[in-house]
Formats: sequence, C-alpha cells, structure tokens
Amino acid sequence: MTQQIQIQNASLKFRIYRNRAPALKEAVIGMLTGKRDKDAVTEFDALKKINLTVRAGDRLGVIGLNGAGKSTMLKMIVGIYPPHQGRVLVQGKITPLIELGTGFDFELSGRENIYLNGALLGRSYQQMRQLEAKIIEFSELEEFIDLPIKYYSSGMHGRLAFSIGAIVEPEILLVDEIFATGDAHFVQKATDRMRHLFNSSGITLLVSHNLHQILDLCNRVIVMHKGEIVGDGPPEEMINYYVNDVAHLVKPAAAAAVAPPVGVSAPPGPAPQVEPQLVVK
Amino acid sequence: MRSAESTELLDKPNERTSDAVAAHGDVAVGAGVVSKSAAGARSVGAGSVDAGGTGSVDSVGDSSVDDFDFAAFDTKESIFSYICRSLAELKNIKFALASFVVNNLRRRYRRSVLGFAWSLLNPLLTMAVMTAVFSLLWHSNPKSFGVYVFTGLLPWTYITDSIMMGSQSLVQSEAFLKKVYIPKSFFPLVAVSTETANFAFSLASLMLMAMIVGVHMNWTVLLVPAAIALLFLFNFSVTLILAVATVYFRDLTHIIKVGLSTVFYLVPIIYNLEMVPEKYRVLFLLNPVYYFIDLFRALIYVGQVPDATRWAIPGLITLITLTIAFYTLKKTDKDLIYRL
Repeated sequence: MTQQIQIQNASLKFRIYRNRAPALKEAVIGMLTGKRDKDAVTEFDALKKINLTVRAGDRLGVIGLNGAGKSTMLKMIVGIYPPHQGRVLVQGKITPLIELGTGFDFELSGRENIYLNGALLGRSYQQMRQLEAKIIEFSELEEFIDLPIKYYSSGMHGRLAFSIGAIVEPEILLVDEIFATGDAHFVQKATDRMRHLFNSSGITLLVSHNLHQILDLCNRVIVMHKGEIVGDGPPEEMINYYVNDVAHLVKPAAAAAVAPPVGVSAPPGPAPQVEPQLVVK
Repeated sequence: MRSAESTELLDKPNERTSDAVAAHGDVAVGAGVVSKSAAGARSVGAGSVDAGGTGSVDSVGDSSVDDFDFAAFDTKESIFSYICRSLAELKNIKFALASFVVNNLRRRYRRSVLGFAWSLLNPLLTMAVMTAVFSLLWHSNPKSFGVYVFTGLLPWTYITDSIMMGSQSLVQSEAFLKKVYIPKSFFPLVAVSTETANFAFSLASLMLMAMIVGVHMNWTVLLVPAAIALLFLFNFSVTLILAVATVYFRDLTHIIKVGLSTVFYLVPIIYNLEMVPEKYRVLFLLNPVYYFIDLFRALIYVGQVPDATRWAIPGLITLITLTIAFYTLKKTDKDLIYRL
C-alpha cells in the first residue's frame, strides 16, 4: 500500500488572549452590553492556504525561519490542530517524533513509562510487550529501567524518549528537530537509527534548521515563510533559495553568518529569530 | 538485522488494530471542499455513513491503518457518526486509558503507610462521625442509620469527586493535548474512571463491613454493578460538559466547588426525605442526583428490587446528559485546542 499526505488549501490561525481566557463575568457583561473587548483577542495566521501533496518515497525537508509555521504544519498533519479552512488527508500510519517524552510520568519507572508512552502513541499493550526489550536495549538503560524516571539524568531521559519513539518501523515519519541528546556514543547510534528510519519509512517529513542534515537526508524540500509555502523543489536548489532569498529578506547580515552556503562543512547555527507577525482583527 | 526483526514484530499488531481503524476511516466525513483527486487515491461517495445528506463521504484509498481525513470547521457530521468516531478513537487508546487510571490510583496512595486501605478508611471514618453525630441528634438506630448514610454518602462523594477532578481535566492536560493527538474526551474519562474504581472499592468494602457488624444484606446488592454503570455514564457526561465549559470559562472551577457544597444539603444523605415539609419536597425531587442515590438505597439499604420507574428516571436523565455532552463536544471539538 502507498502512503500519502494531502493538504488542500488549509489555513489555520491562533487566537492570542491578552488576559488569558475570558472570565465568566466579562463574557456575561459583554453579552449584556453587546460589546466585546476587541483588544483582548489577537489573531495570528499560522498557516495560510497551504497546498501540499506528499507521496510515498518522498523524504521531505521543511525549512524556514522561526515562526514560519513548520511545526504547526506538522501538528496539523498529526491531527492536533485541525485546520480552520481546507482539509488534510492522510493515508498510512503516522509516527510522530515530535516533542519526545510527552506524557512521561516522573513517578513511574522507566519500564512503566515505555508502556505509557507507547499507549499514547497509539500502540497496543501486546505491541509494546514485544518492543519492550528492544527499547531497553537501544536506550542502554538496563540497570535503571525499574527506577522512577525522576532519578534519571536529562541525558538518560532523552535516551529513553528517543528509543521509544524511534524503535518502530514507521509508515509515515514526522520529525521535528529532534536529534537525540546523550553522550557521543548514543548520539552516533541515534543518528544511524534515524538514517535507517528515513530510508525504511514510506514518507518522511523532517523539520530542521540544520541545512546539512536536510541536504543529507531529504530528496525534496519545501521552504516556508510566514505561514506560506514559498518554495518546493530539489534540496540543493531550495536550500540556496532559502539562504539567499528568504533568510536574506529579513536580516541580510545575519543570514550570511547563520546559514553558510551548501557544501561548507561547518554546522550552521540556529536560524535568526523573527517575531511572528500579528494581525489584529 | 534489527530492521527485519521489528518489521516482523509490527506486522501482526497492525493487523489486529486495523478493524477498529477501518471503522474510524469509514466515518470520516468530508465537507465537500475542493477535492483535488491525486493519483486516484480517493473514491468519492464510497463511504458507508450518511452525513445528513449534505457532505459527500470520502473514504481514503483502501481504508488501511490509521487513515483519516479531517476537514474544516464546516463539516456536516451527524451526532451519531461523531459518537461512533469518538468511541472508535477511545477504543484505539484503551490501553493508555487503563494505564492512566492505574497510575492515578497508585499515585494517590503512593508513600502513604496504609496505601489502598485509605480508599476504605476514608469513607468509613466519615461515616462513623456522621452516624455518631446524627444518631445522637435524631435518636435513630446507629447501625441501620450508618448504612442509610453510607448508601447516600458514597454515591455523593463519587459524583462530587468525579466532577471536581474531571471538570479541570481538559485545562490541566493542555500540555498533552497540544503535543500528541488524543481524543478530547480522554482526560475526563480518565478522571471519572479513576473515581469509579475508587467508588467500587469503597462500596464493596463497606458492604462487607456492614455484614460483619451484623447488618442484613439482601440479594439485591447483586444489582449494584448495574447502578454503578448507570451512575458512571451520568458522571462521565456531566463531567464532560463541565470540562469543556471550564475551558471557555475558567471561573467555573470555583463556582463548581461552591455549588457542590451547597447541593450537598439538598440531597437526602444525612436526613430522610420524609423529614422535609411536604410543600418543599418537590424541590428535592427536581434534583437529578436524588434518583441515583435512591437507586443505591433501594438496592443496599431497603433491599428491594426498584420498580421500573426508579430505573427509568435516572436512565432518562443519563440519556439526556449524554446527548448534551456529545453535542457540546462535537460543537467545540475543533475549537477547543485553540482555547487552551
């Protein structure tokens, strides 16, 4: 069977409440007097009319400045944020490697957390029973696995989270800037594992600011800017476009320093911070 | 080598879950938005659920594992197909549900010396105090009065605890809901299920205790699980409504707290409905909670099988609250995440 992701004309906006959620009192007063505090809510268009079709075999890199909507698009594909307009169609089982370690219960042991986390990722108990040994082996936490994870170091925590997420063979893999933490040995192991996952899954979407990684792992790249897809094509071309035109657009000086031209071996740093544009409605 | 192994491992469980997901795929309803057919992956109008005749039903390809299609806000999905979809989604993560409930229970008593015994001791001590005070006050037989109080007090505690814990569950799990895809009814369900387990333990142990003390129990106590199931559905639906409402109006948390402590005196738990002057009795009969407590009393304290109306009234109430709950959830399903 083939995997496919289709995003059709999807828009998504966030409401930002200046003084948190409206209190009951204000809502009632607003209803009675018929006027709403318009300043209290600001709307922010996170995604604007996105059209994208990803087919089996695509290793899609998603690049863009901070606040461009990359992670939001990934979360929309997972189903966390439903689009306000348009639609999202997904064919195939998604394995999101987004926000690893979500749902860890610090009072529980590593082993119990494997089951809990697996369950949250939609895997059955039987499935996790079969994977448990592999996850423990991969994380190299055999000695500590029955200890509550609040006693884990942050590196051990990260190792466990990565191992749970990365042990299955995904049909559709969504990766948001996670590359395992831990000692050099584990990072190498995790990188190898990621490479394997990229090659074995039907579709991969990778959000990363590491352009070398994108060039290395992807066969297609989209560039996002302010909630829109502004470029779609082969990696080298798109990375050049991003570096020269998109990153340049905002901060000409910073862009050159931050994103070295393709082929330079020095790892690029984080993309320049850009304030998301607020649209007052 | 590793890869070959895990593919093999995963093959079977995937097949196992596919029927549940296929059902899920079937009820995914399109809103009739632009359907750009690509690579012939979709067949329009092939679905099996009628969405009120307005939206076209799309089924994506060969409806395989975890296919889904969520369209925009203008989706015309019927309440029935929404409920089916919600239940299918909950079924998919039933293990997470069980694991959350067990962890909640475990955490509640972790590090306390008596552990689970507290779920028994707590109501027992409350009951002992109440019985002592009120049997002195009203000169009633402490033994049977004790049973009378606990058959009212335990369901009441169950209702209030469910509402208190559950109504905040959506707000409190914001971090979760924004990071992983989980049906919105999951966390209220976890809260209510935890309280249900607690309630069942307390009820069973207190009935046991009553029998040891020498209070006669009729065979009608065997019908108690049916009453628990009914009260569970009622609690779940009320909690769901309040949990969604709390997302929109955070002040509700405080209102609920005050409200529940007021309602306590309006439920005949420590007194008898016969003690209430005739002209006010109607007010007490308007309280939906009364009918559930009445059911437990009939089964445990009176020892008779309640007649049809005594089942029908709480049943009807539950049906109404359940409908409102799912209607509320459906209305807010796609907006809720943006309000957290």
